[in-house]
Amino acid sequence: MNDKPTPHPVYLDDAATTRLDPLVADVMCACLSEGGTFANPASIHIAGRASHALVERARRQVADLLHTIPRTLIFTSGATESDNLAIAGAAHFRAYRGRHLITMPTEHKAVADCFAALERQGFEVSWLDPDRDGLLAASVLEAAIRKDTQLVSVMHVNNETGVIQDLHAIGECCRRHGVLFHCDAAQSAGKLPIDLSELPVDLLSLTAHKFYGPQGIGALYVADRPECHIQPLMHGGGQERRLRPGTLAVHQIAGFGAAAAIARERQSADLAHVRRLNERLWSGIKAVPGIARNGTRAHTFPGILNVSVTGIEGESLMLALSPLCVASGSACNSQSGESSYVLRALGLDDRLAQSAIRFSFGRFTQESEIDFAIARYIAAVSHLRGIMPALTA
Amino acid sequence: MSMEPYNDAVRRRFENPRHAGDPDARYPAAVIAEVSESDAGCRVRLAAEMDGNEIHRLRFRVFGCPHLIAAAEELCSRFQGKAPQALQDVPVAQLMELLEVPVEKTGRMLLLEDAAHSLARAILAGC
Repeated sequence: MNDKPTPHPVYLDDAATTRLDPLVADVMCACLSEGGTFANPASIHIAGRASHALVERARRQVADLLHTIPRTLIFTSGATESDNLAIAGAAHFRAYRGRHLITMPTEHKAVADCFAALERQGFEVSWLDPDRDGLLAASVLEAAIRKDTQLVSVMHVNNETGVIQDLHAIGECCRRHGVLFHCDAAQSAGKLPIDLSELPVDLLSLTAHKFYGPQGIGALYVADRPECHIQPLMHGGGQERRLRPGTLAVHQIAGFGAAAAIARERQSADLAHVRRLNERLWSGIKAVPGIARNGTRAHTFPGILNVSVTGIEGESLMLALSPLCVASGSACNSQSGESSYVLRALGLDDRLAQSAIRFSFGRFTQESEIDFAIARYIAAVSHLRGIMPALTA
Repeated sequence: MSMEPYNDAVRRRFENPRHAGDPDARYPAAVIAEVSESDAGCRVRLAAEMDGNEIHRLRFRVFGCPHLIAAAEELCSRFQGKAPQALQDVPVAQLMELLEVPVEKTGRMLLLEDAAHSLARAILAGC
């Protein structure tokens, strides 16, 4: 048995999940404590009505963050469920009109695997490659849309590279052709401004735990237009406009609402903070021989910095970086040992993609943690260069 | 079952690989063998500094995971001072047990064995 004390982790993996804001924890604890608001919000008695009020307050807070009206939001268990509900729900509801769908290979597994499942069910999916910067040009999308196309799904901020897609251009293109547009905004909601009163987006997925809220709660925005109707995936009670039945988790939803309210208030300050951290980190490591940023710098969310380095094997790099908590490829993919499919789609070869490290940070990240990461990264690469052969081919 | 992907034996060798590097220039008769495999992109280079018919010291360079690096380090430390023929009998199972190498990485251990065999052949051919 290993009796050595575990070194204190330095957490730079905010794109996987953020720590809970203490103010959010207070709101949630108030629900869960003695005398808290715990009743089923569907119950019509006084305790149920108190829960219902708390849920609707949270819905308003999330709606305010996204500049929409509360009834457009369906609470779910998180972005994966929201993505599945949006994509499968829209595809099946509109299947009588056509069975052609469009997405990108650089989407999160929650989206990509849902489309793959629909392919197995007889839908036809066009997978549009990004350019070398990770972006999808509206002209490429326009050329791929057919008369039978029913749905386009493109994420806002890529979870590995931080690349930001032009939702306006993509959404306008979809509107011109009468195609639904779904966006996975798990990495951007609460961190970047999203104005659904302006954006031509029909369905949008988000989750609380990416912006200092609790895990296990998210939402799906369904635009308040008849043509945006979707089919539920589950059947049960009539909750959430019959689209997502099941007893609502009051404390989770209250925490989600509180996180949204804080994010709305702090968005500019948070963004400026991560921009400073990004510059500090890149300035500190950019002189490492063979290092390169992945994704276009001009259109990237500054809370994510993804870098590759030549001649270094990814799994060894991860161990050498310990106790730094970062991601190798996608966090959700890091058990597989495969190199990142997102980075390969951007044109990186297998070895370079395998060496990729995603640093992601946020509201609670301190400059001293960035400085630790810089020192650790430089030392790790240097250590491994002493072990690994120089690449000749 | 431990959730830790690497045991102490791996960590120690990974953090302090005393045999990593290239053969000392004072041994011009150093013999080098290199093997690679395409699936995981692993690569193993072994070099022997010879002292007559005896291996004075083995050096390694590895492009691969911590298990493979630790296994190469262990192999180099075990064969120091031995005759080159000994390299034809690499105790792969013992190494895997010591380092708790996951079964899906068996191929990487066999790559190390191939490198040792290749080095033995190269040394013996030059004798």
